[in-house]
Amino acid sequence: MEITKEKLLDFYNTMVTIRSFEEKAVELFAAGFLPGFVHLYLGEEAVATGVCANLTDKDFITSTHRGHGHMIAKGGKIDLMMAELFGKATGYCKGKGGSMHIADVGLGILGANGIVGAGQPIATGAAFACKYKQTGAVVVCFFGDGASNRGTFHESLNMASIFKLPVVFVCENNMYGISNNQKDHMNIGDISDRAAAYGIPGVTVDGNDVIAVHEAASEAIKRARNGDGPSIIECKTWRHRGHFEGDPSVYKDPREQESWLKKDPILNLEKRLGELKFASASDLDQIKAAAREKIDSAVEFAKKSPEPSPDDLLTDIYAS
Amino acid sequence: MSTVGIIANPASGKDIRRLVSYGTVFDNHEKVNIVRRIILGLAATKVDRIVYMPDYFNIIPRAVDGLNRQEKLSLEICKADIEPTFTQADSLEAAKFMRNDGAGCIITLGGDGTNRMVARECGEVPLVPVSTGTNNVFPTMVEGTVAGLAAGVVAKGLVQDAPSVIQTKKLVIYKNGVPVDIALIDAVALRDSFIGARAIWEANRLLQTVTTRGEPHNIGISSIAGYLVPLGITDPAGLAIEFGDGPNTLLAPIAPGLIVPVSIAKHRRMTIGEQVRINKVPCILALDGEREIEVKENDEVCIKLTFDGPRVVDVKAALRESVLKTVGSRG
Amino acid sequence: MKKMTYAEAERDGIRLEMLRDPNVYLAGEDVGIFGGCFGQTTGLFQEFGPQRVVDTPISETAIVGHAVGAAAAGLRPVVEIMFIDFMGVCMDEVLNQAAKMRYMFGGKAALPMVIRTPCGAGVGAAAQHSQSLEALFTHIPGIKVVMPSTPADAKGLMAGAIRDNNPVIYIEHKVLLGVQGDVPEGEYIVPLGKADIKRVGSDATIVAWSGMVPKALAAADILAKEGISAEVVDPRTLNPLDKDTLMNSVAKTGRLVIVHEATKTGGFAGEIAAIVADEGFDLLNAPIKRITAPDCPVPFSPILEKAFLPSEEKIVRAVKELF
Repeated sequence: MEITKEKLLDFYNTMVTIRSFEEKAVELFAAGFLPGFVHLYLGEEAVATGVCANLTDKDFITSTHRGHGHMIAKGGKIDLMMAELFGKATGYCKGKGGSMHIADVGLGILGANGIVGAGQPIATGAAFACKYKQTGAVVVCFFGDGASNRGTFHESLNMASIFKLPVVFVCENNMYGISNNQKDHMNIGDISDRAAAYGIPGVTVDGNDVIAVHEAASEAIKRARNGDGPSIIECKTWRHRGHFEGDPSVYKDPREQESWLKKDPILNLEKRLGELKFASASDLDQIKAAAREKIDSAVEFAKKSPEPSPDDLLTDIYAS
Repeated sequence: MSTVGIIANPASGKDIRRLVSYGTVFDNHEKVNIVRRIILGLAATKVDRIVYMPDYFNIIPRAVDGLNRQEKLSLEICKADIEPTFTQADSLEAAKFMRNDGAGCIITLGGDGTNRMVARECGEVPLVPVSTGTNNVFPTMVEGTVAGLAAGVVAKGLVQDAPSVIQTKKLVIYKNGVPVDIALIDAVALRDSFIGARAIWEANRLLQTVTTRGEPHNIGISSIAGYLVPLGITDPAGLAIEFGDGPNTLLAPIAPGLIVPVSIAKHRRMTIGEQVRINKVPCILALDGEREIEVKENDEVCIKLTFDGPRVVDVKAALRESVLKTVGSRG
Repeated sequence: MKKMTYAEAERDGIRLEMLRDPNVYLAGEDVGIFGGCFGQTTGLFQEFGPQRVVDTPISETAIVGHAVGAAAAGLRPVVEIMFIDFMGVCMDEVLNQAAKMRYMFGGKAALPMVIRTPCGAGVGAAAQHSQSLEALFTHIPGIKVVMPSTPADAKGLMAGAIRDNNPVIYIEHKVLLGVQGDVPEGEYIVPLGKADIKRVGSDATIVAWSGMVPKALAAADILAKEGISAEVVDPRTLNPLDKDTLMNSVAKTGRLVIVHEATKTGGFAGEIAAIVADEGFDLLNAPIKRITAPDCPVPFSPILEKAFLPSEEKIVRAVKELF
């Protein structure tokens, strides 16, 4: 498939924006600015970026507890995300959701989700709506290796398959369900194998190679859009940080961590951009600096934003 | 001491061809099952040792684990002493280890890509390539039990030469004068800038190809050769094709279920030792069906046809020869 | 007015909404050609076809979960969970997804969806097909709970539930499904959160809903013969609860008996009693009484099942104790 210089630089920009956002979150969490839990996407940037580059605003995604990357890649507004992490009234959810519930329904982002595997039936339903209304839209359901063990996975894939729904199930296999290594939580090595049980295609790609992810997603999404039904794309990747901030990751072998850090998706892409002469080191530095600046201004926005009023406690429970 | 190597690639059978064509989803439990049958075949021929490549799914230990409850294996099963990276480089390292370890035969489970890596380092050790997918030319569909038996008779030294063990051809890829890689079946230049999801399925990207063989019953780019000038595994020739407007347009199965029109600008037979230059750069070079090498504008890439590819066991011929040699014809 | 059974009236409510709004569709196990386990959806498949009357696999989680996604993406699903007892299978989709999505998203999502589900004992269906679990759902902010007791309410509340922009659990009573009554023809909507006084009285208030309303009315008949005028208040919607109608009735009678088929501890009668004790203590001339099933799984044997269920005799006795 054709990938232009512009597109590749766009990928890079998205990936470094996600990275800068997450690195800032590490810093802010450690400094005590962020209440609650944050689950960071560091190391998995290529997946959200490569997949969402195939989507338009009318398409939907469902995300996970590790959702900041999906949000940014699907076009979410960074100011509103950051304000939500701070729990401010100006945040995406007016401070009522926090990191794990950021959503932008207008952009087709049906929310991060605090329940592992809960996005799968929701994505199935959104795809049902796309097919029912014949909008030509598709849905991408992001989920992890751990979520593929939930009953929701089975029920959703089965339903999506028999109804031939326009949904692509993108598994971000970072090899760990919290602390539990994949080999200890499932008796298969590749989650794409599970596709066979639902009579749908399943492929495995290098989740740290944004081009490979993008290409596979492009084909799967095209297929879904054409009415040929769901598929699974398993992206093998690695989370650089613990399950949540504060998790010391004692369950991970440091040598394994080291070898994955060498396969960092952003380093990968930088190398490619350089080889192709699409960008010089200083071009890349410029993009990174611009991303950091965007994040800094989001932090500024969040810090300056008002706290929610206790009077708002009981609003937004029901729609009128 | 007779030793057989087993290189089973857990990652084969899961690439993008499941999305863009109708490739089989081949799960790893099935590979475990095949290996079980291979081991039983080997045990029956009284092979002493099996050396296997470690992999992320532990295919061979799982296979053995499933067997132990039923029968006591007399053969020794050991892991190749390599530092696994769980990439295709492991196949190469494992083949090297097995060759140095005195293996008399290596059984591979995987596609053309897996065998290409093994072929780079297996030297004179004959291969029994078992297909675990639908998109292969080099490995063949063969029942595991029979593959194990055939590998056993070869490793035991019962059969060693043609027609049971066949010398195959290969392509050597030279980049700027330096040999950088090989291919067993075909090398294809593609109008692409990226390796990406690796497989080939878009006919309009084809620029040029060199094949060691091609039969109309093949799946993949070598099938195109099959429809132009069929070339068998032992024919001392290859085929060079340039795609584009020309007198010939033919239909070829370039991926499972994907039979598409392909326009041929020109083609010619190659003799052993002949070289072909890749004349449209930049491009991506796919080797045995997987995009592998990025060719930049200033790169000079040549592909040479040689007759020193890996030695491959013809399973049917090998078993027949071993029977005739040991018990003779009972007729 | 037209004579219809409760099931027919409910179906009429669904049908009219489907005719009115193409985004309304029905999905669930065996709702299509089979017509629903109790015939509630008979004929709809033939009228609207498989695109709008969708047979699903036996996958309660995906049934409710897909409804959440479909509603968020602009449809108005009406899904059936064949028995309320099966709601345990899809509880996360109700509790953590449907109920909370709007709030968690800061009000930026609306989930117009209805989960229809039959409750109730009395048909020998035993412990996993007979429960009255409404209190589980009234404890979850973000969803609404309706429980019609008459054919007319079954129709009107269905229309009200479908037009509501929130997740609504519409609980229908198995024993009532075959009961006939007068039902308004054409468009008929009962707004959610509006109680109905099923019988006017002056001496005691009996609050009852769903399958207990006919029993409360029968008890009121007996009490009338003994000179006690009982008012029967049917809240129809438990969440939101029509407190005004309830408090007005208690203000008039000064006595309150609450009847439900659900088991006692943690039941919704406790909530109503607490509200009245809290906000209307001065209105009461006697303690509040609850008539409910005992804290026990629903038994199978007809003898045991009868012993389990609240009866008009028990209601009569309770009311009389207040004088």
